[in-house]
Amino acid sequence: MRGLENRNSHMKYALFSLSIVLTGWWVSNPYYLQLLTFIGIYTVLALGLNMLMGYAGQISLGHAAFYGIGAYTTAIATVHWNWPPWLGLLLALGLTAVIAFLIALPMLKLTGYYLGMGTLGFGMIFYILFREWTGFTGGTSGLVGIPPLSIGALTLDTGSGYFYLVWGIVVVCFVICERIVNSRVGRALRAIHDSERAAAAMGVDTSRLKVWVFVLSAVFASLAGFLYAHLVTFISPDSFDFIVSIRIVTMVVIGGMASIWGSLLGASVLTFLPDWLHVFSDYEMVVYGLILMVVMIFLPQGFTRGMLDIYERARSRYSRPSTSPQG
Amino acid sequence: MNGLEADTRVLQPLLKVEAVSKSFGGIQALYNVSFEVAAGHIYAVIGPNGAGKTTLFNVITGIYTPEEGGVFYEQQPIRGRSVHQLVRRGIARTFQNVELFDSMTVLENVLVGQHVRTRCGFWGAICRWPWVKREEQHAQQKAVELLKFVGLEDVGGHRSADLPFGWQRFLEIARALAAEPHLLLLDEPASGLNAVETEQLAALLQQIRARGVTLLLVEHDMSLTMGISDKILVLNQGKKLAEGTPREIQADDAVIDAYLGRE
Repeated sequence: MRGLENRNSHMKYALFSLSIVLTGWWVSNPYYLQLLTFIGIYTVLALGLNMLMGYAGQISLGHAAFYGIGAYTTAIATVHWNWPPWLGLLLALGLTAVIAFLIALPMLKLTGYYLGMGTLGFGMIFYILFREWTGFTGGTSGLVGIPPLSIGALTLDTGSGYFYLVWGIVVVCFVICERIVNSRVGRALRAIHDSERAAAAMGVDTSRLKVWVFVLSAVFASLAGFLYAHLVTFISPDSFDFIVSIRIVTMVVIGGMASIWGSLLGASVLTFLPDWLHVFSDYEMVVYGLILMVVMIFLPQGFTRGMLDIYERARSRYSRPSTSPQG
Repeated sequence: MNGLEADTRVLQPLLKVEAVSKSFGGIQALYNVSFEVAAGHIYAVIGPNGAGKTTLFNVITGIYTPEEGGVFYEQQPIRGRSVHQLVRRGIARTFQNVELFDSMTVLENVLVGQHVRTRCGFWGAICRWPWVKREEQHAQQKAVELLKFVGLEDVGGHRSADLPFGWQRFLEIARALAAEPHLLLLDEPASGLNAVETEQLAALLQQIRARGVTLLLVEHDMSLTMGISDKILVLNQGKKLAEGTPREIQADDAVIDAYLGRE
């Protein structure tokens, strides 16, 4: 059974990778290529938050802060200190992990609305930091001249090069998350979501685990920030404000809580949607909010989970458990 | 009776509750309650609603700290230990209202039960070292065995929320056993069960004892405890009313007055 499961998941990733390669080869319009690259970056963001929110059940309304820390760290390292970008990546991830850890220690003692408010708070603090620490971050005018990424002699500034890099990272992140979710820690995370009391009674060190999944989630956001900074080569505080945090949460919710592939869906919908909604011009936000409401009312678990639930319910109607316990 | 006393003198008690008092605001939930649970016994705490059973349960599992007195497990105080540390040391529990992990399958619930007996962390999960795979395989086998033990092996792939209530109770016991406890605490295990299921539960509890697990159950329902317990403690309004074998309890005047006689 296990072997079959593994083969299935290999198959899935082979198909996924193939479709990425085909897409990259087929799409030549640089605008769409960049849009697709953005989807990849948002997928990494949503995936990270989904580990925290969807699986462990802990909300964060300040994830743009970590996205920003990733972007600003690599930008400052490469622009101000002339570091090579890959070293900037290491610094970004490391710094984010440390900051996330220090924030998580007191923050994750909160639950529910209070955790939401708390994370909202640190999101605000970091946004102000990005905006006001002018000497370092360039303030409201932002940081210009972030170098493009290169691997060896290959510079990834053309649309398709960066597209492949980002989506390669997405695949790796998918594998990482899927492995975590289906492991002992992943089950413990889901257990915390279902019943924190029962999880503790099973010996799960809930507060420690929540801190670590928060760090993991922040590191994903930081990675996304790094990819963003080197893609657009210019960053300003507005890319990391409160609305962005909300957008990440929305991606997770729309795509589906506790669904790895749902993150991809959520990121895609939220990237394409504003593009399509331009038709509605001034009413764009109204339509946007309406879509959110409809999804929440009819598919509160998000698209993927909602569809799966409908499917499973239909299936289990025909195969109810029919044996009795104790023989 | 003499044999029993000799037994407890030779063996140190697995659990010792010593003069525990606990109050909430002005209400004295527990007053100077002491008792000992010998290893290998089925020990029952009974009493009417509001007698302090649940408070006692929460004191033993480390959720409440008593104002006076202490609880000793394997000769060591449990004060200051977090819940997950106690599980590691061999205390597992079930809940009065069944608290399963509803988004997970039956099998996964039992796998979570093995949390303290396995050790794969984030890195192990990501890298999937050979030892991680072995550990996972072993855990799955053990989970299947435990499901077989409680008679739920056929529904391992179903979501636990989809099981009928009685089965959920058995699943919860399997999940607790997965932690390989020395002491298993059951909070009203018979509540919500029908007569047939209660009998199945009684048989199961005896099988669990036969595996070397000591059981402490808090019960409202007398019928289950009278049949299987080695010793019974009767609580009334936070105080110890009587303690003894089921036969002694049934003959105890104070118990009859306060509890049995009401029926």
